Amino acid sequence: MSFEKFLKQELTGWMVAEGEHADIVLSTRIRLARNLQDYLFPISASQEDANRVSEALNQAVKTMQNHHFTGTAMKDLSPLERQILVEKHLVSPQLINPEKHGSVLLSEDETISIMVNEEDHIRIQCIYPGFQIDQAYEQADRVDSELEVNLNYAFDETFGYLTSCPSNTGTGMRASVMMHLPALTITKQIERIIPAISRLGMVVRGSYGEGSEALGNIYQVSNQITLGKSEEEIFKDLESISKRLIAHEKKSRELLLAKSEVHLENRLFRALGTLTYSRILPSAEAAKCLSDVRLGIDLGIIENIDMTILNELMIFMQPGFLQQYAETELTSEERDILRAQLFRDRLGVVRSAEQKKDSDPS
Amino acid sequence: MLCENCKERPATVVFKQETLNNATERHLCDKCAFYSQTFTFSPDQEPLSIQQFLAHWLGGSELFSEQKVDERLPDGPKCPNCDLSFHRFLDIGKFGCAVCYEAFSGQLPRLFAKLHNGHTQHRGKIPVSLNERFALKRKLEDIRTKMQQAVENEHFEEAATLRDEANQLKQQLSDGGDDRHVI
Repeated sequence: MSFEKFLKQELTGWMVAEGEHADIVLSTRIRLARNLQDYLFPISASQEDANRVSEALNQAVKTMQNHHFTGTAMKDLSPLERQILVEKHLVSPQLINPEKHGSVLLSEDETISIMVNEEDHIRIQCIYPGFQIDQAYEQADRVDSELEVNLNYAFDETFGYLTSCPSNTGTGMRASVMMHLPALTITKQIERIIPAISRLGMVVRGSYGEGSEALGNIYQVSNQITLGKSEEEIFKDLESISKRLIAHEKKSRELLLAKSEVHLENRLFRALGTLTYSRILPSAEAAKCLSDVRLGIDLGIIENIDMTILNELMIFMQPGFLQQYAETELTSEERDILRAQLFRDRLGVVRSAEQKKDSDPS
Repeated sequence: MLCENCKERPATVVFKQETLNNATERHLCDKCAFYSQTFTFSPDQEPLSIQQFLAHWLGGSELFSEQKVDERLPDGPKCPNCDLSFHRFLDIGKFGCAVCYEAFSGQLPRLFAKLHNGHTQHRGKIPVSLNERFALKRKLEDIRTKMQQAVENEHFEEAATLRDEANQLKQQLSDGGDDRHVI
């Protein structure tokens, strides 16, 4: 099986607007960190150690009944291809570090990704669209239990699953929910909510995890504690916090609408104008406008635009995808120009198709 | 050049940030720069890394002051498997191998309590392949805690059901939980 399809296909499973609360929750992710007892952790491992771990994983995956995985080593991909996997959230930015020996195994539908030799030997990641913590955990748990049959995990009765970083010790689980919270951001309530959430043992970050910006009002809420609570307790906590955030966001949207509908409409349609007619479109501006247009669709103010196109553009507007599309390396300004063109084309196509439909009597 | 954030006032401040993979530069006006610095939350800022956390909050002093510094081991205990010293572990914030946990076991409860809201004992999933007996014991403890709560809340019927469950598990532990019976 060729690995190429994972790179060519721009829409990945979690990007389709489905699942519960899909208007606010973009995706749900569960990550389990595991290590093998008999090998040094990747931070101190040699190339040979890393190869052996990778080989052990390849073998373990082959015997799995219900899943088929296709894998590749990071070093066998070009820098651009590696970046595309990061932009699709299929691998972490850390995995693609060329000085390390990372590799990845992906399931057919891209919902399961097993990163090998990242910070830990094994990181099982399941991403589902919308709000589906239970399903995502069930899937990750199943993969973990199947792998465990053939692998000797590093586990301790007191400390649980032994991970390289002490902040993951215990369950090794990080559960996270990616949310679009424009109304809470516009009304600046998010600034008060975030410190409150961190007191409850949860973290709020930009969409790519550690050290990334909250581009386009997209936030990632995840658990901070991994020791002393069961997996279920952790994701139930996350679930209740997410539900409260969703309720807050909905209320703020209603408030915004009630308070200054014309101002809100003005802002949302201006954003649509920017996306549809720009000639130079920097990524931060594109993300901001996409957020506004998405809000416009959710509120029923902007019609006739399919959310799937927005999701596709969200992925496509990133530097890696733009350069793959152009089939060449691009400077920052060249990317901004190409990005503008792509948005015009994709949104324009919809427009002209509709006009054609209107004027075409057949 | 106009401020990238408000697009109203001229940009007077340049924010540079370097991460592992790339560097970003943002041109902001005085006002936006001020706000981006004083926000309680700025997603542009790197969250406190585990290394900084360990170095600043626990850094040598606190963890070491309460321990008698062993003159033969000035850097704290050393992992016999990967050679990582406890001091070095605090510096890099990562264990080198599974054996490190054993080597640093004296220091770890304090460290985990700080990192995980006071918790020092795992309560989640246990590998199926691991001694089934251990899993039963854990389950028994859980049931006993629940039973205690039920009694405190005067839910005696629930407590009785839990007691029966506990007895059943105890039975399993005494005969069925033996290693030889683990599939």
